[in-house]
This record gives sequence, structure tokens and C-alpha cells, in this order.
Amino acid sequence: MSPARVEGTLLCHVGRHRLAFAASDVASIAAPDAACVSARGAFRESPSVQRVLVTATGEAVGVDGLEIDAEVLSVLPPSPLVAHASGGSLRGFVLTRGVLWPLVHLDGFERYLRGLGGDGEGA
Amino acid sequence: MAALESESRQSYLVFACGSSWYAVPAEAAAEVVTFPELTRVPGSPPHLLGVFAHRGEVIPVVDMSLLVGGVTAGSRRAVLVRLPRGTLALTASSVAGVSPVQGPLEPLGPTGVHVHLRGPGKSGSRDVAVIDPEGLFDHLSQGA
Repeated sequence: MSPARVEGTLLCHVGRHRLAFAASDVASIAAPDAACVSARGAFRESPSVQRVLVTATGEAVGVDGLEIDAEVLSVLPPSPLVAHASGGSLRGFVLTRGVLWPLVHLDGFERYLRGLGGDGEGA
Repeated sequence: MAALESESRQSYLVFACGSSWYAVPAEAAAEVVTFPELTRVPGSPPHLLGVFAHRGEVIPVVDMSLLVGGVTAGSRRAVLVRLPRGTLALTASSVAGVSPVQGPLEPLGPTGVHVHLRGPGKSGSRDVAVIDPEGLFDHLSQGA
């Protein structure tokens, strides 16, 4: 079976941490607003949002910063130990810039962050 | 008694994490590595320090000291435990080597991770807890 691949990736910085989203998950990139949830909540850090990634159906997640990578990247499967992290929104990992980036589904990740309660909300 | 004698003939890799000593069956201990910068997994518990890529595999790093309720060992070395369903890395502040472990090796507690730690065990003069790697893997896979 050939490994999964992702073509076009948004590489995001979240405090000291990294996250990646498939470009196909992202309909637009917006300015922060009070309604979005901060990805920092997934790392137990205080919310902070500079850019907001929005799906076609309106789910929105805020990050500190982002880079766009146009390359086709292999998706390394997650270990069973982390497969349920982030409410099951973790797809795997991409290896680029010399480090691993957790690749998550944007819509599922937004639902996971909302489920954490108020900690991750607000820009 | 037969079970005890069987246990005493088995070899274990004995290592420290923080102030406690642990042992894993030698056949499951693949190697000891110094791991690079870890990637934190969003939504993961504190004892899961992060992951790193090793020979094409993404390996999770678990701090046994944090897992049992202590403070982090703060080590960059780890014992790779290879199992049929995957590999995990257990942080090691010191590695004593391979040796037998003596003792009744009963579960150290009725619930949680302690079900998968067995003791009291002795490796030389050291008190060690023997890790049931399959049980620990199952326990951690359930999001513990």
C-alpha cells in the first residue's frame, strides 16, 4: 500500500509548537476575531491568535503564524499511542524543514478545541 | 513457584527514569537512542513528551516518571521498546545494562499504569519495577 500524501500544506506556528493542515482543508485565511478558537488550547497554553484558518463550512482555528508549503509530502502514520490525540483529528505527521509537523483535519481539530471549553477561545 | 523461576531466568534491560529503576524484557528493548528535538502532539497528555522520526517511523516518547505521577526526568536518552503494534521510547536517565530480575513480580497496583508495572523486583542491589510492555502499550493507546 502506498503511503498517504498531501499536496499543499499550511505549516503553522502555535507558541513553541508546530501544526500542519492540508491546504485543501482551508477555504480562507482571515484576521482574528473573538469567536475563533486558538490552537494553543491543544498545548495547554494561553490563547493567542494572529491568523485564522477557515474551512468551507465555517470552522475556524487561530494560529500564531504560518508558512505555505506547495510540495507533495508523505504522511507518516501516527502511532496507536497518539492516534486518538486531539479528538481523533490527527491524520499523521509530515516531515519537512527537518522536523515533524502534526497534520490535523481542520474541522475536527476545531471541534476538539471547542470541546476543551473556554481555555482556547478568543483572539 | 514455577512462574517465579521462569521470571528469574529472563533477561531484562534495566534503566533509571528519575529516581526510580525500571526493567523491560530484553527481547523487547531494541536499542538506546539519544533523541532529537521532539514534536509535541496536540492534545496529548504531559507524560507523552512528543514524537521523533527514526528510520522512517514516528516514535512517541514517554516519560515514565511523569506517567507514575513524579517529575520529569529531563533526559534526552530513551530505550526503544519494539512491539508488534509499534515502537515506543521510554526516557532513561541512566542505563544499567541487561540482567535478570528476582522477585514475585506482582502488579504494583490495582488500577492505571501500576497494573502494568510488576514488583517488587531486585536487579543486583537495585529495586526495580518490571514493565509489561504490551500492557503498557495498551494502556497508553487508550489515551492514558
